[in-house]
Amino acid sequence: MIKITPDKLQPGMRLAKPVMNKVGMALLGEGTELTETWIARIQDMEMEGAIYVEGKLEMEIPMDEMLAALEGRFQSTHGNPRMEMIRSAAEKHIRKLYE
Amino acid sequence: MSEVIESKILRHRIENIGNLPTVPDTLRKLSRIMEKQNVSLTEVASFVQSDPALTFRILKMVNSAVYGFPGRIASVSHAIMLLGLNVVKGLLLGVSVFELMQKAMTGLYEHSMGCAAAARIIAQQKGLREPEEAYVAGLIHDIGKVVMALEFTKAYEGALALAETGHIPIMQAEKKFFADNHAALGGVLSEKWRFPKKLTEAIQYHHQPRSAALFPLETAIVHLADILTKARGLGFSGDQVVPIVDDTAFDRLELSEGDIIYIFQELEGSIEATQEVML
Repeated sequence: MIKITPDKLQPGMRLAKPVMNKVGMALLGEGTELTETWIARIQDMEMEGAIYVEGKLEMEIPMDEMLAALEGRFQSTHGNPRMEMIRSAAEKHIRKLYE
Repeated sequence: MSEVIESKILRHRIENIGNLPTVPDTLRKLSRIMEKQNVSLTEVASFVQSDPALTFRILKMVNSAVYGFPGRIASVSHAIMLLGLNVVKGLLLGVSVFELMQKAMTGLYEHSMGCAAAARIIAQQKGLREPEEAYVAGLIHDIGKVVMALEFTKAYEGALALAETGHIPIMQAEKKFFADNHAALGGVLSEKWRFPKKLTEAIQYHHQPRSAALFPLETAIVHLADILTKARGLGFSGDQVVPIVDDTAFDRLELSEGDIIYIFQELEGSIEATQEVML
């Protein structure tokens, strides 16, 4: 399940949780496949909170990008053995997410 | 560059957090209750129950998978009985500053929830009796940033910008604008709210764990949890780069690379549950 803001919705995404209005009424049920019309209506509503759609967020970011970001976060700690261990653990973990 | 904001002024703001206009009503009331010398279980429970939104949030937090008691706790009194007053007080603080955190700094809440989960995982790995205490410490370790960003918005924006352009940790950038850093100010707030020393030390020294005289293990856990959350890139704490881990603290925890991979894996599972809590 991914939590996203209404502006990031794409046709074809499937709701993992109902979309509620401000008073808690379900407008679109769980499992609804979003069309352009639905998305436009959701975007017109004043939503409280985010929309939950099915899928995995990380996988939408290519692995190379994830690893490059990781590299960037560790740019100033090169040569520190403990930081190297943490970086390497994080890298192995991220690679596993894509297997 | 603008003048450094004096310690006296910073601490004065913290002392008067109950009267600050930027602080929402719930937190103000909560602050008054927390300050009392001997606040009772009933007082806390009835305060929470008088606010349906707060009750809903705290029970969701307690019951979430992050927390490990799936669907078993239905009342605030039950939560306090199970988790203890201090843990519930900490969780209450965590859920009531949620909006403030979002307002103060985008991503700070996600970072805090990630750190909370990571701290609990490490505490369990190290066999601590009350891993939920570590969770609470992780959840509110950056509470000082919230006060700084809300009360001294311009100066804090300056610090954030400096951290970004200078590729330095936010902790270091704060020094150019504030006489005290967020960890020290968080410690002041923790004392004001009569949190146990264990929690205060973990907050106060999460960037310099070797200064923790009484609870070095608990403080080391929050220190590492913070770093691992940043390493994984969860949320945003003001740091663009991962700060260097303290040697003593890291060695005290005796974790292998495999142990750290395990922490990341467990953390992954808690991310989804974390998002549920934030609704």
